[in-house]
Amino acid sequence: MQPFSFYSYPYDYTTSTGYSYPYSYSDSMDEDFNLPPLARIGHAGHVKRCLSGLPDSQTDLDSSRLAVAFYCIGSLDLLGLIPDKIAQGDLDLWREWIWEQYVSGPNGAGFRPSPFMTPLPASSQNPSSSSDPSSDPGYEYANTPHIIMTYTALLTLSILQDDFSRLDKAGLVRLLRACQRADGSFGTVPPGSGSTSAPGSVTETESDLRTLYCAFVISSLLDCWDGVDVDRAVRYVKGCRTYEGGYGISTGYEAQGGTTYIALASIYLAPSSSSSPSNSYRLTPTEKSQTISWLVRMQHSEGGFCGRTNKSPDACYCFWCGASLKILDADHLVDTRALLSFVADCQFKYGGIAKAPGETPDPYHTYLSLAALSIYSPRPPSPPPSAPSQPVSSSPSTTLTTSSISASASISAPQPSHCHPPVDANKASWMLEPLDPLINARKGTARWARERLKLSTG
Amino acid sequence: MSSSPIPYAEQPEWADVVPLPQYESIDPLAPILYTNEYKDATDYLRGIVKVGEKSQRVLKLTEHVIRLNPAHYSAWQYRCETLLAIKAPLDVELKLMDEIAIKHMKTYQVWHHRRLLMTHLLRSTETDKGLQTSSRSPAQIATSELTLIARTLAEDSKNYHTWSYRQWLLAFFSDDSLWERELDFVDSMLNLDVRNNSAWHHRFFVVFQNGVREGEEDRDRILRRELIYVKQNISLAPNNASAWNYVRGILDFNKLPYSTLAPFVQPYTVSHPDTLDDLVDLENPPPSRGAQLPCPAAIEFLADVYEREGGDSVLKATELWKTLGNEHDTIRKRYWEFRVKEGLRTIQAQS
Ligand SMILES: [Zn+2]
Repeated sequence: MQPFSFYSYPYDYTTSTGYSYPYSYSDSMDEDFNLPPLARIGHAGHVKRCLSGLPDSQTDLDSSRLAVAFYCIGSLDLLGLIPDKIAQGDLDLWREWIWEQYVSGPNGAGFRPSPFMTPLPASSQNPSSSSDPSSDPGYEYANTPHIIMTYTALLTLSILQDDFSRLDKAGLVRLLRACQRADGSFGTVPPGSGSTSAPGSVTETESDLRTLYCAFVISSLLDCWDGVDVDRAVRYVKGCRTYEGGYGISTGYEAQGGTTYIALASIYLAPSSSSSPSNSYRLTPTEKSQTISWLVRMQHSEGGFCGRTNKSPDACYCFWCGASLKILDADHLVDTRALLSFVADCQFKYGGIAKAPGETPDPYHTYLSLAALSIYSPRPPSPPPSAPSQPVSSSPSTTLTTSSISASASISAPQPSHCHPPVDANKASWMLEPLDPLINARKGTARWARERLKLSTG
Repeated sequence: MSSSPIPYAEQPEWADVVPLPQYESIDPLAPILYTNEYKDATDYLRGIVKVGEKSQRVLKLTEHVIRLNPAHYSAWQYRCETLLAIKAPLDVELKLMDEIAIKHMKTYQVWHHRRLLMTHLLRSTETDKGLQTSSRSPAQIATSELTLIARTLAEDSKNYHTWSYRQWLLAFFSDDSLWERELDFVDSMLNLDVRNNSAWHHRFFVVFQNGVREGEEDRDRILRRELIYVKQNISLAPNNASAWNYVRGILDFNKLPYSTLAPFVQPYTVSHPDTLDDLVDLENPPPSRGAQLPCPAAIEFLADVYEREGGDSVLKATELWKTLGNEHDTIRKRYWEFRVKEGLRTIQAQS
């Protein structure tokens, strides 16, 4: 959950929206919406700039570039720009780069963060070496799948509507099995990767709730839990609960918004089995009301959410805490108007969303803020049953390309075709399609992932 | 490391290593515009890892990479394997890493590396091979770790990784002499900032979550001590969510009814309490003069007392929730309205 920030380039993008669609809505925010527009064009521009390159001050993202790609491409997805508003050529290139990070070996299949440990092919280096490259001690280092990166890769590929024909799904299950520890948690990479380290050796990589959550999402998308000892894992999650009613990142640690989301999502993703019905994993009524109470108290009087008791609000916790409340069916307890107003203030004037007003934006806070809006933004009324379930914008637009984004590009909010009283343009700019709060993806993307990734047994 | 370093290719002691440039496709996603120095160092790291060399110079190289990118988990992992393979003195390693820990305290890997070193140190002292890696006893090692943590927290008093490492360390060494001074440490942190939730959490961790240590067998006395401690802190700064969470935490953990604290809480729920006198009542310290009252957390607590009493008292709880939603805690208006609705439903079900 380490937040990171990006350097921003001072390109002057217009933030005017130019929406004048016959919009309709029904929400308690009717009376005076009174917010500046969500600068969709600017935010899309920010993440696209990051996709095309990061300055050297961001070198610490070298070993998590796939996650950066997810936050960027995920932002474009939440803004409703994929696939129609991105050049097909770009979508193909993005997909190819992600598949280049796909690795498969004795410990299973998955994705590595980037080619940061991958040398140029031997042929161009040393023509004499002809032996099997996988016998190199360095091969493992460059070709070890990483569970968190695998989760972000699967979601990103789903956004890009990949058919997953190249994926060894059973290999994913093997990877999860190799990574689970005796205490129920998951290591980020299988033990024994690298070179000499063996299971239980002191050079094991980190293991905590983040990785466990990713393993749960992967199992849920595969609709196969053979890679996970669910009982043991859920026991580990429950051990992270603190006296405050939130969850820490590992046993004994302070309650924090991000890890509380991950704990709750994991508990609510857990499948039922004959021995333990899944609702036996769920919170007791007392636990649930204590957790809800802790979560709503994370909303600061400025409108944003804090990550821990007595800390300052930070845009990413609008998602972590906001989605936690959604999982517990308590999203109606949030002061939505104040939340939106905080996110509005976190918008950077040249695009992107920062962790707090006046800070520089980055893809992580941009994505998570948009994801929070996908839960809490004003919503058009559900279309009548006969209408298409996914309203797609049809306004004239300029296709965005990786290298440039036209300031005149019109990026429209979803636009229902049936007639209702008009919604003002500002308000329309805040409307986003709904999100699946358990796996943290647009519902349409989640559906794609579940349909294509389901592991058919037998 | 301040002056521009000499490229590895120009250093004779690296002449035998074949540097391996990083592979990258023609159209990469989120490529990083590396500095030449980072490119050079990682080219040599890939070269070393390919042939599996574990040697003294690998420690220099991985340190270089880590300083340029402290999140480079492969460099950390290879460094750790090298340390163990060449049986490097781990005291030297810890000392070197002290500076890096403080500089990069927000990087997870920095603390993970220390955990691995501690695990190895303790294992090797247990098997009597410890002299190779450290001349100090486990308790001495742990004590100096606690000192480093305190230094780090002096720079950033709420750093999550650092607090977590402290909790891990205490549980890992599980030595009574280490735990003894923890409450003093918490005290010193809370004296600097009484709203530091990490310090409150740590107090709970120390007092309640790690078994009963020598001298703390009388649990009633411990419970009284903690209640007095937190009440005093609330008295000095009533609007402190961390302290109120701590109160609830210890009552829940010890299965004590909230009503036991009603006499203490009541003066905090009104604008002008009439108990503001100079009598020192340890059990029920009054709000300090100038405190901002009423205190929403106190009103919430008192409402919980009424709700748990059941019967007619639930109605009193709903009245308090209404004042929170309408007046004292309006950002949570929807939440308090929800509590009122639930409360009224309970009343209906009873009648
Ligand atoms: Zn953040």
